[in-house]
Amino acid sequence: MDQAKKDELEKKLAEGVVEFDDDEVKEASEEWVATGEDTYDAIFDGLVTGMEEVGRLFATQEYFVPEMLMAADSLYIGLDIMRPHMVPRDTGVKGTVVIGTVQGDVHDIGKNIVKMMFDVAGFQVFDLGRDVPLEDFLKKQLETNSDIVCLSAMMTTTMMGMPKVIEMIKEKNPTCKILIGGAPITDDVADKFGADGTANDATNALEEAIKMIVALKDIQKEASKN
Amino acid sequence: MTQEHTVIFQPSGRRGKISHGTNVLEAARSLGVEIEAICGEKKTCGKCKIQIQEGYFEKFGVESKMSNVTPFTSDEERMLSSAEKDNNYRLSCLSEVQGDLLCFVPEEARGGQQVVRKKAGKLKYKPDPLLKIYYIEMKEPTIHDPEDDFLRIKQTLREQQGVVISRVDFFCLQNMTNKIREAKWKVTCFVLGDELVRVTPGKIEKYYGIAIDIGTTTVAAYLTDMQTGKVVATDSKMNPQVRFGEDVMSRISYSMQNPEGLGQMHKTIIDAINDIIGNLTEELNITSDDILEMVLVCNTAMHHILLNLEPKYVGVAPFPTAMAPAVDIKSRDLGLCINAAGNIHVLANEAGFVGADNCAVLINEEPYNSDESVLIIDIGTNGELLCGSKSLGVLSCSVATGPALEGAQIKFGMRAAPGAIEKVEIDVETLEPRYKVIGKADWHTDIAEVDTKGICGSGIIDVAAEFFRTGIIDKGGRFSKYAPTDRLRNDVDTGMPEYVLAWESETSIGKDIVITQGDVRAIQLAVGSIYAGAWIMMRELDIETIDKVVLAGAFGSHLSQFSCLLMGMFPDCDISNIFSVGNSAGDGARLCLVNKVKRKEADEWARKVRYVELTVFEDFERVFMKSMQFPHMDHPFPHVQHVLDEIPNWKKIAKEKKKRDKASAGAAS
Repeated sequence: MDQAKKDELEKKLAEGVVEFDDDEVKEASEEWVATGEDTYDAIFDGLVTGMEEVGRLFATQEYFVPEMLMAADSLYIGLDIMRPHMVPRDTGVKGTVVIGTVQGDVHDIGKNIVKMMFDVAGFQVFDLGRDVPLEDFLKKQLETNSDIVCLSAMMTTTMMGMPKVIEMIKEKNPTCKILIGGAPITDDVADKFGADGTANDATNALEEAIKMIVALKDIQKEASKN
Repeated sequence: MTQEHTVIFQPSGRRGKISHGTNVLEAARSLGVEIEAICGEKKTCGKCKIQIQEGYFEKFGVESKMSNVTPFTSDEERMLSSAEKDNNYRLSCLSEVQGDLLCFVPEEARGGQQVVRKKAGKLKYKPDPLLKIYYIEMKEPTIHDPEDDFLRIKQTLREQQGVVISRVDFFCLQNMTNKIREAKWKVTCFVLGDELVRVTPGKIEKYYGIAIDIGTTTVAAYLTDMQTGKVVATDSKMNPQVRFGEDVMSRISYSMQNPEGLGQMHKTIIDAINDIIGNLTEELNITSDDILEMVLVCNTAMHHILLNLEPKYVGVAPFPTAMAPAVDIKSRDLGLCINAAGNIHVLANEAGFVGADNCAVLINEEPYNSDESVLIIDIGTNGELLCGSKSLGVLSCSVATGPALEGAQIKFGMRAAPGAIEKVEIDVETLEPRYKVIGKADWHTDIAEVDTKGICGSGIIDVAAEFFRTGIIDKGGRFSKYAPTDRLRNDVDTGMPEYVLAWESETSIGKDIVITQGDVRAIQLAVGSIYAGAWIMMRELDIETIDKVVLAGAFGSHLSQFSCLLMGMFPDCDISNIFSVGNSAGDGARLCLVNKVKRKEADEWARKVRYVELTVFEDFERVFMKSMQFPHMDHPFPHVQHVLDEIPNWKKIAKEKKKRDKASAGAAS
């Protein structure tokens, strides 16, 4: 496939995601796979680029939750077709994440959006679901030796469980990064709880997640150049 | 660049960034918070009191303390009592902002009282109270008839009134002996079921009870004639617990973070209720001893705080309550100042967040007796839904709607009080609005001094519906870039689109009142969640359409039925079958006060209603997401299709105009 054709397909993939056009994404994905070439660029420069734009539109509130979820659907259609044909790049980034909504809390839309972004970025995600007993976060982190643990809570009552989880994990594994998020979480709260970072709500969760993906993309690009 | 601090005023919830050194009274004004300043800031009246809250408030992300205002002045020494000083009171005209603040404006300092939207309605059933009065004339004890006072009363009640009592309240017993003799053995007995609770001299013609709806935000009390069921006096106040948290979750969090928290909040509401009892009895020139029964209704979290029960488990999944069935408590055990032998009846909680107040709505609206399928939407600070009919049975669920709709997440949102825009219409040709402000009788276009300072829940629903109807926003809630009006612009700081509803000259706060893209998104979430809850319950009942919709609640009953339908707050329904029923919870409480059959029925039905936990459904996310679009992503709304068909597509119109202009320019050359 020549560069011009690659660019054309990548653009189609990106636009398909932004316009949540399932057919567009499916067609372009199948066309790429048919060439037999590595789908890595298709995923990162096509689908993920599209998702970055969606994230930007979401942050400015032009897009809202329905648009976001529909774009994610389109993205997954492409991902499901192309991921099996992706040659993984060795970047030295472990990429394991444990994520869940804390004990007593059953809200997970925001958490699912963040999870999806890690998924797309190529992280290995262990989603513990919701109403997760606090100790389970530690158990899973030890079991998987994950780099990051993400905690989500939507209520001021349930977020009280976060400091306990953070303490438990930091005690056993001080290098593990802990990100927290959810409606009642602010930078101050994150500081107070001892977290390594935060995303304020679903909007910013996506931005933060995308920043991480962009950073990851850059690291991977750098690594693959060398 | 002057440093800015976050200042929040309760109970209104108005907040904003205030420059360091700003006078607190000025700060309040700029945020639309009215504090009494009778002397015109001449530092002589001592009216402009505020109470500075101390501590770290997670929800707002502020650490508020006394040292965040300028130090105490000698003038304040003079004008504040020592109790006030001990309780962190300051005079707002004499303090300046030096750091983040959470200020509570006590009732006596509040200007522009919140409009109480909890008027009493008509009772649907005749009174038949559990508490009854009987006049008896007893024979004095003699050497041949030395029977005790209690059995004498018991016997006479049976002989003269056909009433059987089996016990007497201890407090009543303590006071009986002398009273009977003062009255020369002619007394009125107050009997609650089978218990004698009061013996009072002479013949009493009228007696009263109190029904109270303890809302998260507004407490409304109705002094009721027990024989007619009519309301003879009403009193209401803002729930003073707002200083501990605007909504139930933050109040539960407060108790989790402060060991004294539950006790403080409990005392606050008990004091407020006693205040109300005092006001009501004074109005009718009776004493608190004359009141022998009260019925209280409130949501689950409020119920626990009221009864001093640990609330923290109600705050986390699976939300189990300490006590669901109705309770009867002696007033003296709860510290409520009616007759010490008096009974406090609190209705049953249905489940988790569906509390005693919804139980009151249940008994008042009786969906279980309805032949038609009915959806009852009770929106106050929280939202509860009931759905069903006689043949289908009844389901309930709770949705988190209130705070957004009552103004907390809306840029210029405020509670319903004078100055709030409560109704909006937009002309589809000019895209110009006209609105009504609480406290002014006419549309804003017909009055000289508009003085609006924000928009309340009913206003925000109207404006969103009108935006949609006139094509200013699309189905997905996005502001149109093509709608031809100067009122659409981008916020200078965030770049996000907004619509100017009221120009600065029409306001009393020195800035334009705008509706932002973010405000529309908040409405979509709130309205979408109600639809999602309703639709899931309907699916559980295996019905595809709903015959009747009832809008209840302090806030719910003030909404425009048409706006709600157009926005898809509930599934499609004939508009003539959508009803607003005022404060159904208050009416239900009153019904249980004066009718013992209904009281029992309420308790039974509370157990029979099946609670539906929405988050348990795997597809809840999808259902919710689709409900966020106006009126819905793909469900049909035949009853408003004619309106939907007329919505202008401004993008198309602009493109066509461009084509025409181009064509005529081409023709000219």
